[in-house]
Amino acid sequence: METESCKIKDFKCHKKRIQGWHNKFESSISSLIETLKDLKDSSIEAKKECSEHYARTVELTKAKTRFTFEVSHELKAPLASVYNIINVILDGYLDGDIKKQKEFLDRARVRIKNITKLLDDLLMLSHLEERTKELEKEEFNIGEVFSSLIEEMNEYAEKSNVKINWNLSENCPHIYGNSELIRRVFANIIHNAIKYSNPRGLVEVTGKKENGSFLLRVKDRGIGIKKKELPKIFNIFFRGENARPNQKKEGMGLGLSLVKRIVDAHEGYINIKSQLHKGTTAEVSFPESQKKEK
Amino acid sequence: MSKEVLIVDDDPDFVETTEIVLQGNGYETRTANNGEEALKKVKEKAPDIILLDIMMKTKGDGIWVSEKIRSEEDLKEIPIIMITAVNQDAEMAKFHFEQESGMEYMPVNVFMEKPIEIEELLEEIDKLIGAS
Repeated sequence: METESCKIKDFKCHKKRIQGWHNKFESSISSLIETLKDLKDSSIEAKKECSEHYARTVELTKAKTRFTFEVSHELKAPLASVYNIINVILDGYLDGDIKKQKEFLDRARVRIKNITKLLDDLLMLSHLEERTKELEKEEFNIGEVFSSLIEEMNEYAEKSNVKINWNLSENCPHIYGNSELIRRVFANIIHNAIKYSNPRGLVEVTGKKENGSFLLRVKDRGIGIKKKELPKIFNIFFRGENARPNQKKEGMGLGLSLVKRIVDAHEGYINIKSQLHKGTTAEVSFPESQKKEK
Repeated sequence: MSKEVLIVDDDPDFVETTEIVLQGNGYETRTANNGEEALKKVKEKAPDIILLDIMMKTKGDGIWVSEKIRSEEDLKEIPIIMITAVNQDAEMAKFHFEQESGMEYMPVNVFMEKPIEIEELLEEIDKLIGAS
C-alpha cells in the first residue's frame, strides 16, 4: 500500500501521493464532464429528433383528416344527387315524362359508376401506400399490355369522335412490375387524352425503348391545362377548371394521383406538359428489367 | 306573383332536380353554377330566397357569396339557405362567421345538409318567405 511506503514525516512522499490523487480526481472529473457533454448533446439531438417526429406526426394526422374530409365530400355530393333523382321520380314530379325519367336514371347510373370507381381507386391507393413492397411483381414484356388496350382505347376514341395514331415499337423491353397496374397507367393517360380532345381531334401514342426504359408518349391537341394548375395535377381529387364541364362523363376516379403513385411504386417517371387550348403531352417511363431479355 | 328561388350549386344534377321540385311546387327558379355567376344574377334581379351550396370548386364559394350579399345594403335582407355536403362544412362556416364578425353576425339563415329531403326543403323555404 502507498500509505505504508511513506514515512510519517516524509512530506515529499505525502505531497507526491496527494498529487497523484489530485491528478486521478482531475481526470475523473474531466471524463465526467465529457460524459455529461455527450449526454447533453445526445439529449439535444433526441429532443430535436423528437420534435421533428412530433411535427411530422401532426402534419400526417392533419393530412389524414383532410383526406377523410375530402373523400366524404367527393362521395356524398354525388350520392345526394342520386338521392334527389330517385326522390324526384318516386314522388311523381316527372310522371308522364318517361323520356326525362330515363335521362335522369341514366345520369344516376353514371354517378353510381363513378362513385364505385372512386372507391376502387381509394382502395388501390391505400394498398399502394401501405404495401408498396408487397406489390405483386413479375417480369413481362411491356408490349403485352397493349393488345387489349389498343382495342379498348380505339373503341372509346371512336365513341368520342377522336382519332388515335398508334406508333409502338416492335422491340418492346421486359419490365419487372405489376402488369395490371402498368396497363392502368397507360389506359388512364390515353383515356384522358381522348376525353379532353376536341371533336375530330387527334391523339398520338408513341411507345419505344429509350435510355434503358420503356417510354410512352401521349400527345393530344385538346383543351390543355392552365399553367398555374399544372403543379397540382397529381393531387388527389384535383380537376382542372376547364375539365369540369365534362364531369357528367364517366371515369372520375383518382386519376393522375393514382397514376403517379403506381409509377413511383415502379421507380418510373412521369412528366406532363400542357398549354391551355393547345393540348397536352404526357410522358411516362418504366425502367427496363435488369435481367436478360427472354 | 310566384316567388323566386335562386339555386346555386356546381353539381348540375342537384340543380336540375331541385329546380323540378321547386317549379312543381309553384316557385319560379333561376340557377347559377358558381359564386360569381350567382352574385351577378342576384345583382341583376334580387330573388326572394337563395339556395347556396357552400363548396363550389371554382369562382367563389358559398361563404364568399353570402358575405358579399350581406355587405350590400339593398341585398342583405335576402334569406339564404346554405347547403352543405358534410356537417363539418356548416361548423366550419359558423366558426368562420363568428371569428370574422362576432357572434350576432350570421350571413346565412339556415344550414341544410345533403341529401336534402324534399319536404324539409319546402318547409324551410315556406318558413322564410312563405308558400309560393
